Amino acid sequence: MSMNSVAIRSHESMELIFEQAKKRQRMKSWIKGMLFLLPSIVLFGVFLFYPLLRTIYLSFFLTDASGETTVFVGWQNYMNIFTSPIFLQSMKSTFLFVLYTVPITVFISLFLAIIANEKLKGTGFFRTIFSSSMGISVAAASVFWLYLFNPTMGVLNRILEFFGMDAIGWLTNPDWALLAVSVTTIWMNIGFTFLILLGGLQSIDSYLYESADIDGAGYFYKLRRITIPMLSPTLFFVVTVTIINAFQTFGQIDILTQGGPQNETNLIVYSIYREAFVNYQFGSASAQAVVLFILILLMTALQFKFGERKVHYQ
Amino acid sequence: MKKLFVLLMLGLLLFVAACSSEGAASEGETDDSESNGTTANTDTAEESSEPQEKQVVTFWHSMGGAGQEALNAIVESYNNSQDKVQVNAEYQGSYDEALTKFNAVAGTDSAPTMIQTFEIGTMSMINSGNIVPIQEFVDADGYDMSGLEENIVNYYSLDGEFYSMPFNSSTPVMYYNKDAFEAAGLDPEAPPETFEEVEAAGRAIAEANPDMKGFALQAYGWLWEQLLANQGALLLNNDNGRTNTPTEIGWTEEEGKSIFQWVENMVNDETFANYGTNGDNMVAGFLAGDVAMFLQSSASSRDVIDNAPFEVGIAFLPHPEDKERSGVVIGGASLWMIDGKPEAEHEAAWDFMKYLQTPEIQGQWHVGTGYFAINPSAYDEQVVIDAYEEMPQLQVTVDQLQETQSSYATQGGLMDMIPQGRKIMETALETVYNGGEIDEAYDAAVEQFNAAIEQANAARGE
Repeated sequence: MSMNSVAIRSHESMELIFEQAKKRQRMKSWIKGMLFLLPSIVLFGVFLFYPLLRTIYLSFFLTDASGETTVFVGWQNYMNIFTSPIFLQSMKSTFLFVLYTVPITVFISLFLAIIANEKLKGTGFFRTIFSSSMGISVAAASVFWLYLFNPTMGVLNRILEFFGMDAIGWLTNPDWALLAVSVTTIWMNIGFTFLILLGGLQSIDSYLYESADIDGAGYFYKLRRITIPMLSPTLFFVVTVTIINAFQTFGQIDILTQGGPQNETNLIVYSIYREAFVNYQFGSASAQAVVLFILILLMTALQFKFGERKVHYQ
Repeated sequence: MKKLFVLLMLGLLLFVAACSSEGAASEGETDDSESNGTTANTDTAEESSEPQEKQVVTFWHSMGGAGQEALNAIVESYNNSQDKVQVNAEYQGSYDEALTKFNAVAGTDSAPTMIQTFEIGTMSMINSGNIVPIQEFVDADGYDMSGLEENIVNYYSLDGEFYSMPFNSSTPVMYYNKDAFEAAGLDPEAPPETFEEVEAAGRAIAEANPDMKGFALQAYGWLWEQLLANQGALLLNNDNGRTNTPTEIGWTEEEGKSIFQWVENMVNDETFANYGTNGDNMVAGFLAGDVAMFLQSSASSRDVIDNAPFEVGIAFLPHPEDKERSGVVIGGASLWMIDGKPEAEHEAAWDFMKYLQTPEIQGQWHVGTGYFAINPSAYDEQVVIDAYEEMPQLQVTVDQLQETQSSYATQGGLMDMIPQGRKIMETALETVYNGGEIDEAYDAAVEQFNAAIEQANAARGE
């Protein structure tokens, strides 16, 4: 009896020790894991999470010129921006801008990637050319386009005049300015999008095409039934990234139009910049930033919900 | 979750500690190198009995192009003229950009000794509390500021006190193409003075040369303010913010709309060239003969005169016919002394500021850029007299300033929201350029302008 109880007790204590050892083990591996994560946690914390929280905090205050909070106003900043015609205009412009740039960028890049993927002599040269705009900084590209759009000596107006048409105020006419900026952006984004899509195309297994060939499938049938479905993860990535980029456009606006004419090209990020660093209203700038954050979050979530269904992962 | 948080905080702490110790280390290094420098210097001092190491003054400015060249030449001549102070002039981008950078470093060791800030930044610099009023140095030194141009003194002294040292000042003028005037049968020596005359001249020019537009007005808030002031109108109430903090706009509907109406008339006549907010394109268009008249700061006059393939005329800013010309507001920038620097550094910077006010330097500056001399005795300098022989247009900018009637209107508005107000007016002007309704554009602009004033006052807790 006593022997038995001792055995049970020792068994219990063994189990306890075992439990403890297991707990310690788990703790250890948790710490080890955390240590591996620490660099990115610290970096994200300092450069992303802290600014994010700070932005949300600032959006409930008015500030002085150095960004120190002065008066708590609650939701007033949000109410102000949603009744301000300038902010509503910039929301509208941003959505139009996304609409103008994203489909066209993806379509042109896809077309270029498909023709550059053909195994012909000299494709390497064209691949380099098509992706070359990736190597040009936003500032350099914008200055280049600024000269093309120049009302006095710009090439575009020279061409129009040659054909006997009236010169267009590309960057000063509210009907054209957003289009002009969109064209610039499309040109700039094609390089990157093209490269990613080309990479996607090249990773499609050639046996798929070979079996299709044996079945006697035509070029466009293969394109529709093999290429596009197999490319869909890449396409999905490209569309998501281009949309986010379009929402965050800044450089080309700053150089080409400064948000003008009549705020027609005053996209959200530029409007935030102006509110914070020209008007020194850090509070309402932060409120706009929070709105932009929520917008992009929603857009991306919606894409994952609806877009991803059509994506075919191997 | 709690553990995670603690770990996160720990990580943050480590990171911050690492940063600060690194900073301290590098500071130590610079200290070392400085002391090395000093010992090296004292070594040479023992040999050649030269004085101590030079006091370094960091000077942030926003002068690009011809202005930068002229300024660098002046700084170099100052550094060579004595052996106690070394001024390092650093270009920090436009006034807006420099001010943003300054606000980010204000109160730290990275802040400059002195900074050039545009006239409408005056109020926000004073409110920031990061500056030492120049008046302190003037009083301590017994320096005489009365030698400066009267209108400049009017703008930069608040209740008789100078907060900053005036430096580069300009006013808006009208540039016109004399050759085009002649071709259109107009007298190139009698430029149009009123809005109505400008319209008529524009029609004559467009008729004589269908490829040339008559007039261009950059959508630039500063020009809007000047066109108001020239009618004797205030930008802000409470005497342009000079007697009390403004609570709303200061101009009347008639005064404000006259400018819009003027532009619309020219747009309807098709004599108006629209360059939007881009001043460079406007100047390029003028030089290429696309437009015959435009308004711009006198600071560009040297650039325009040098680059035009035709004869350039410079005239006073136009005003409505039924109003008397009241004159213009000083534009440009002044120099601010930054708080929290050692006294020796302040003294050195003050010495440099005084050097900039001397007639020789002001003469050189005036002729090299088109900014006028803030010290009128500079106009007696030989270099100025010679330049006037060659380019009599330069003198117009000075005449215009000296004919300005001193009033609250021509003293200029004073408030920290003016940069925002300018953007609002620019948008409204662009609407009219593109054929928008005057009344709508005007009412929207006034409403936004007032809202901006209200917001700025609220942010200060008033």
